[in-house]
Amino acid sequence: MVQQNQNPMIPTACKILSIVKETDIEYTFRVESPFQANHGQFMQLSIPKIGEAPISISELGDNYMDFTLRAVGKVTNEIFEKQVGDFLFLRGPYGNGWPYEELKGKHLVFITGGTGLAPVRSLLNEFYNNMDLVKSITLISGFKNKESILFKDELKNWQEKFRTFYTLDNDKIEGWNSGLVTNFVKEIDFNSFDNNYAVIVVGPPIMMKFTGLELKKHDIPDENIWMSFERKMSCAIGKCGHCRIDETYICLDGPVFPYTKAKNLVD
Amino acid sequence: MGYKFNFADADRLFCNIFDKYDIYAPKKFPKQGRYSDTDIIKYAKINSINEIEFHIKSDYSAKEVLNPINETLFYFIENEFRESSAPKKPILLFARPCDINAIEIQSKIFEENGEFSDIYFTRIKNNLKFVLMDCNGGDDTCFCVSMNSNFTDNWAIAIKQLENEYLLSIKDSEFTSDFENCEQTDFSPEFVQQNTLSVNIKEIPNKEVLNKLKEHPFWLEYDKRCISCGSCTVSCPTCTCFTTRDIIYSENPKVGERKRVYASCQIEGFDQMAGQKEIRNKASERMRYKVLHKYHDYKERFKTKHMCVGCGRCIHRCPEAISIVSTLEKMNNAIDEILNKDIQE
Amino acid sequence: MNKDIDIKKLRLNCYRQSKEVGKFMLQMRVPGGFIDAKYLSIVQHIAQTYGDGNFHFGTRQTFNITGIPYENIPEVNKYLEQYIEEVETCLCDVNMNTIAGEEAYWEPQSGYPTIGARNITACIGNYHCICGNINTFELARKIESIIFPSHYHIKINISGCPNDCNKAHMCDFGIIGVARMEYHPERCIACGACVKACEKGATRVLSLNENLGRIEKDACCCVGCGECVRACPTSAWTRQETPFYRVIIGGRTGRQTPRAGKMFLNWATEDVILNTLKNWQKFSAYVMDNKPEYLHGGHLIDRAGYKKFKEIILDGVKLNPECLVAENIFWDETEYRSNFNVKPINLHK
Repeated sequence: MVQQNQNPMIPTACKILSIVKETDIEYTFRVESPFQANHGQFMQLSIPKIGEAPISISELGDNYMDFTLRAVGKVTNEIFEKQVGDFLFLRGPYGNGWPYEELKGKHLVFITGGTGLAPVRSLLNEFYNNMDLVKSITLISGFKNKESILFKDELKNWQEKFRTFYTLDNDKIEGWNSGLVTNFVKEIDFNSFDNNYAVIVVGPPIMMKFTGLELKKHDIPDENIWMSFERKMSCAIGKCGHCRIDETYICLDGPVFPYTKAKNLVD
Repeated sequence: MGYKFNFADADRLFCNIFDKYDIYAPKKFPKQGRYSDTDIIKYAKINSINEIEFHIKSDYSAKEVLNPINETLFYFIENEFRESSAPKKPILLFARPCDINAIEIQSKIFEENGEFSDIYFTRIKNNLKFVLMDCNGGDDTCFCVSMNSNFTDNWAIAIKQLENEYLLSIKDSEFTSDFENCEQTDFSPEFVQQNTLSVNIKEIPNKEVLNKLKEHPFWLEYDKRCISCGSCTVSCPTCTCFTTRDIIYSENPKVGERKRVYASCQIEGFDQMAGQKEIRNKASERMRYKVLHKYHDYKERFKTKHMCVGCGRCIHRCPEAISIVSTLEKMNNAIDEILNKDIQE
Repeated sequence: MNKDIDIKKLRLNCYRQSKEVGKFMLQMRVPGGFIDAKYLSIVQHIAQTYGDGNFHFGTRQTFNITGIPYENIPEVNKYLEQYIEEVETCLCDVNMNTIAGEEAYWEPQSGYPTIGARNITACIGNYHCICGNINTFELARKIESIIFPSHYHIKINISGCPNDCNKAHMCDFGIIGVARMEYHPERCIACGACVKACEKGATRVLSLNENLGRIEKDACCCVGCGECVRACPTSAWTRQETPFYRVIIGGRTGRQTPRAGKMFLNWATEDVILNTLKNWQKFSAYVMDNKPEYLHGGHLIDRAGYKKFKEIILDGVKLNPECLVAENIFWDETEYRSNFNVKPINLHK
């Protein structure tokens, strides 16, 4: 395996170990990785001569990382052409990641919209395998329709140990709820958590905004809420300027923010 | 103490320096302006001191020498990478105080933001010395005094061009011997004490006021006026934003490069993520983003001066005659309005 | 009213017959339509002292003073001496003692000697306009001494850019200022502003090559307007230092066969333009056998045929390397008399 480069802009070639087709347009790539990362961090993924994009880590192993991505642009489209044994080019990890130590020992509520499930997947699996690390886990996970459901096997597994609310925005299938994730916040008895809980919200900007407001309706303190942001980035090391909101750089100071800060991040 | 020599002797006196350094300075390019029969002054490598434009402010700033518009980061050769090489020679950069101060702002972002220092910026900066160009006070778009960037002591040589001769002062002993046989005279650089233009930047006391200011209707004027061309940020000596871009060499598709290119928060697509809506898709929002960065956000992050040296290039280059100084006056009024309303409530 | 007036002679003297017998309109030349505003007082003086007090902007940018009685004309001509001297001789370096390049005595107090070569019109050009590629009136002043005084008719319109506000397409010899562009890829941020500007305001010759991060240009169809330069935030597009010109010939209005002109030269330098026009008298003389008629240049080109025109007008002209010359011209007329082109030659006279 190629050694990591001194120059933080130069990526390392990493071999693709497996490719899982989650949906028609979302694949999970498992890539051999020499990097030490935390849950909720992201990497810069690139294909030489095509370009580079920030992608959150959707699973962490001893020698591998997963990336779940959607073919929506020049870089991701090209990545979708790759096969097992081909190389993806990685640099990172970047960003702060989830406040793992702070989350341990708490009742955790995860609220995710669409591909927002990817950045919390490794954390969910970590706790799934070590339920003694937390008091309880509630997962509200929404997708647009049945075609866009990700991590189907894991969703099923998680039901064993987590309290789950799986919902489709505007579609109906058996065993699934219908409606937006915000509708299910009222189902959670936050009082039973004895003020020892954290809510983790990830999804498209509009979903995070309304989930934040919904949580405030239930008087959830700002400090108990965490959100992960996604912004355009070219460097991921605080130079290129694309991800800046006010004095905050998402790549350096985020992507995970407590709601005390997140609520003031107005683009 | 200083030296005096005439135009004809300049290149002879600088010949050792030319040997050792690449000299970059503002130079006039006749008829290359935006409108026909107008000139452009931009930074270029020069071969004679007499090529330098001393009296008219350059349209584009000195930042282009440290932070080129297009810069190769590394080359791809099949699956391998080769970092682009640093300039072979050290650089001597002729600049006015505003531009020298601006490089210090660039350095904050390139070298102090986050744990990594930008190797491309640093490898040039660490091998560069400034020649301070005497500034006659600039033009009617300058407001360096208001931004506290009229002064600098970051220079090795200071120079002033008179009608037939140069005055020179040397701070860096490396250059003393080159001029020791010159006629001596009293010369030390003077700094502009007053501009015709001045600004006063109101403090934004907290996030609540900041976010109210973002919503203030005065920005909407720029939806009608600003054409989102990015001329202001390209010419701005403190703007650093870039986008990386991969190139395939058409003659050999196995070989290519990753380069970085100036990005502008004023140009459509700056915050556009693939497959998503653009976040700031109106000129007013882009303008607000830029102005607040310059006169609030940067200072808030680095706890230092504002991210503007008052060089006035954004005013000078704007094809729609938008003046940042008027924008700031409007912003000050909006801040007052927000604060007064808060008191009343 | 019983008056015996040589109307034709007065026309040559730039006095135009009016509906009212014995009243005339003076047309004062303003080459390029641009002149020191102080001359407006001369216009005012003539109008109020000798005319009916009114003034018209001539359609060819002359100062037109209406209602001048026949008997005032000698006085007006005397008064005009200074204006003609300052504008024609001093500003434009015209030799007033010639006609069509041949020596001919001119009495300074006799007014304008010829009307054939019409006032050269021009848009304001880059003296003011942000689109202009050339200084139009300076060119007009250089051409004035080549075409005036002459009894051969020619209408020259100069436009500062291919937007052609001054309708170079609607005169005998239209000149359009164009620019050849230089692209500096090291300054290009691939923002696409030039591509959009060219799409919106020109001929869509630019495109962004995503693989190279560069702009590509179909130089063949570039009209040389300079919109890309105006749109570029980084000066990645600049104009070459030398100005260039496009020449449109044979455009005209008229009762019979109005038509827009066609391109004769493209990317010609100023020298080429001036040297070409120096052959104008020779070409006119050839077509009309040295006997000037009231026939404009476009008709002369029709009579001689384009090939002959090209041969004579470019005689001895050294073309700059960039300059392109039309191989042939295919006219497209609006024919108000459908048999115009099949009329027997003897009926043309």
